Amino acid sequence: MAVTKWVGFLALALAWLPVTHAHMLNMTEIQISADATSDVTVSVQIDLGQSALMTPESYWDAVSNPESAPKSGALYRALKALESGIEVVVDGQLRELALRDYRATATSLEAIKNPLTPQMADVQFALMGARPSSESVIAIGLKDTLDVPWPCLVRVDSFAALPISRLLTAGTRSSGDIRLDDSRAKPGEGYMVSAVLQLQAWLPSLTWLVVGIQHIIPMGFDHMVFILGLFFLSTKLSSLLLQVTAFTLAHSVTLGLTTLGYIAAPMHFVEPLIAASILYIAIDNLYSRHVAKWRLLVVTGFGLLHGLGFASALGELALPEGSVLSALLLFNLGVEIGQITVLLTAYLVFGWLQRWPLYRQRVAEPASMTIAGLGLYWLIKRLAY
Amino acid sequence: MLIKRGVAIVMVTMGIFAVEVAMSLVPKGDLLFPSSAAAPGEFPDQWIHGSKSAMDNTDPAVQVHRYNDHTYILRENKAINYEGAFMYVFFGNGVALLIDQGSTSSPALFPLREVVDELIANWEAEFDQSSTHLIVANSHLHGDHYAAWNQFVDRENTTMVGLTHEEVMHYWGFSNYPDERLEFDLGGRNFVITGTPGHQSSEIAFYDEWTDLLYTGDMFYRGRLYLEDWDAWAASIKRLRAMADDYPVSHLINNHIEMTRMPTVDYPIGTTWQPSEPPMQMSLEMLDEAVTATQVIDQAGIYKYADFLIYNEVPWAYTTDP
Ligand SMILES: [Zn+2]
Repeated sequence: MAVTKWVGFLALALAWLPVTHAHMLNMTEIQISADATSDVTVSVQIDLGQSALMTPESYWDAVSNPESAPKSGALYRALKALESGIEVVVDGQLRELALRDYRATATSLEAIKNPLTPQMADVQFALMGARPSSESVIAIGLKDTLDVPWPCLVRVDSFAALPISRLLTAGTRSSGDIRLDDSRAKPGEGYMVSAVLQLQAWLPSLTWLVVGIQHIIPMGFDHMVFILGLFFLSTKLSSLLLQVTAFTLAHSVTLGLTTLGYIAAPMHFVEPLIAASILYIAIDNLYSRHVAKWRLLVVTGFGLLHGLGFASALGELALPEGSVLSALLLFNLGVEIGQITVLLTAYLVFGWLQRWPLYRQRVAEPASMTIAGLGLYWLIKRLAY
Repeated sequence: MLIKRGVAIVMVTMGIFAVEVAMSLVPKGDLLFPSSAAAPGEFPDQWIHGSKSAMDNTDPAVQVHRYNDHTYILRENKAINYEGAFMYVFFGNGVALLIDQGSTSSPALFPLREVVDELIANWEAEFDQSSTHLIVANSHLHGDHYAAWNQFVDRENTTMVGLTHEEVMHYWGFSNYPDERLEFDLGGRNFVITGTPGHQSSEIAFYDEWTDLLYTGDMFYRGRLYLEDWDAWAASIKRLRAMADDYPVSHLINNHIEMTRMPTVDYPIGTTWQPSEPPMQMSLEMLDEAVTATQVIDQAGIYKYADFLIYNEVPWAYTTDP
């Protein structure tokens, strides 16, 4: 009987355990004013009588006998524990705190004992050492040995227009670095932007290579279709390579000249012509059995045209000043990689069919007609706008 | 031959145009949140309301209730913290708004971040959305409503509104708090926001034009309304009433349940098992009762009403139950 009673009491005590520690109105607050022209102040609001730093009785004793409290006793030790337990790091350097002032109040011992009626003490420390500048980075943490009523709200008043808030918990005892000129960058965006910037700083050039590839796959669908148009005429690898090379050289020329500012072409003129070139190549596929000499000339001309298209796409991106040329070369190289990928894929899919007597009739011609249809679609759309 | 091929080419072109036209007729991925009629939603008959023994509690740490497709009400398990605080997730196109983060910091005890991430992922999958931006906001700045705030600080694609009065005012754009009414566009879903200090001096109320829900946080709920500033609260109650005059309100929603089903009777503070909880949502009649109270009460003290108790500038641990 006695045992079950005791077990029942224990269960009740355990059930209440998280509750008594969970209420949030007696949470701790640390405020750092790092914007002032005078010394930097670290203010702490803490329910000392509910903290591990002193007992409710010793806190009540210190409150009711204020004369005996300074320089000795439990309250003094608690304040000293805060002084050494709050770690403020400015620009990587741990700074000392010096107790400046405090105000310990309470309405009654009962109120101190009740976790639901927080009796907060206000404690102020001066931050020793040079004043932080607007470029400084500050971090506030609590030593593992310092236990306060959690969580602990940190507020930094700094050079920024708004205060900066952080929350410390028993599991996360440091605010992490806080920039004192913190512009209100949204954390998510800030993270993404800085990741991209870092990547560019590391691999400035590779980025442009990737951008070049992207302008064939997947963004340059019309260029991709043009390349396929070349593919479906010739079954001979040599003539295909010759055409692709001519196309590549030609578009490199106009891409370079346009990007470097030597020539300019109105896009509303170029875009429909690119569409027309796709239509032309595809129809040409249907009516010529072999690659005619003049087709190479036509492909070269179309290459010049497509180069203008790439240039306008590249023009929408800000080229890095000082390394325009290397960015341009890499972008162009990326375009070539994209083209080769398209051709290799086409070979993988259709190459093995090329020996089939019906290849032309069953594969190449329907494909060319589809390409012509696409070209016509783009031509109409681009002329309409 | 020539004609045949020409026709084939033109057919391809026409086919593409036909597909394009068809695609443009299909409604885009955009979700629509018209304010014309209240989008319906449902409350549970009973919320999960704790258990006799907190140790034996097997309920989820966070109850996730789907009010409707784009509105979710979360409740912290009362066995983890007796506050049993409600939290809200509202979705708009490309963006989710999380209001409040409960009373427990530890992700092991209270994995709010995990729950919210899963909720967003499921919602994205269901409604064909992606890379939803999360706004982590608060109804007011009391620790029992932002304890798990930290769980979100390292989340990508997330805006932390902040835990200081100034940050809150800046984010919502208040220049004349609390009197002003602000419009807030949550990805095509329009909210009207106003200041409601009195319980806490940074509190805001949210009116959702799509569901017609009026969210009143800790300043008005079925429980002990602890008022640190009577005048501010009385003005806020009138402000809410004025809002309800100007906009249709389907339900008042809020942060806690502390009343029993018996009028004027509350559960003692710290209760972790509330078998006879009334619903969380409240009606405009109850708001009117509060308006009446603002005209009657003129001194500090405890005032009992059928659906709420007013603790006017009374230390809040004192309960009506001895
Ligand atoms: Zn509150």
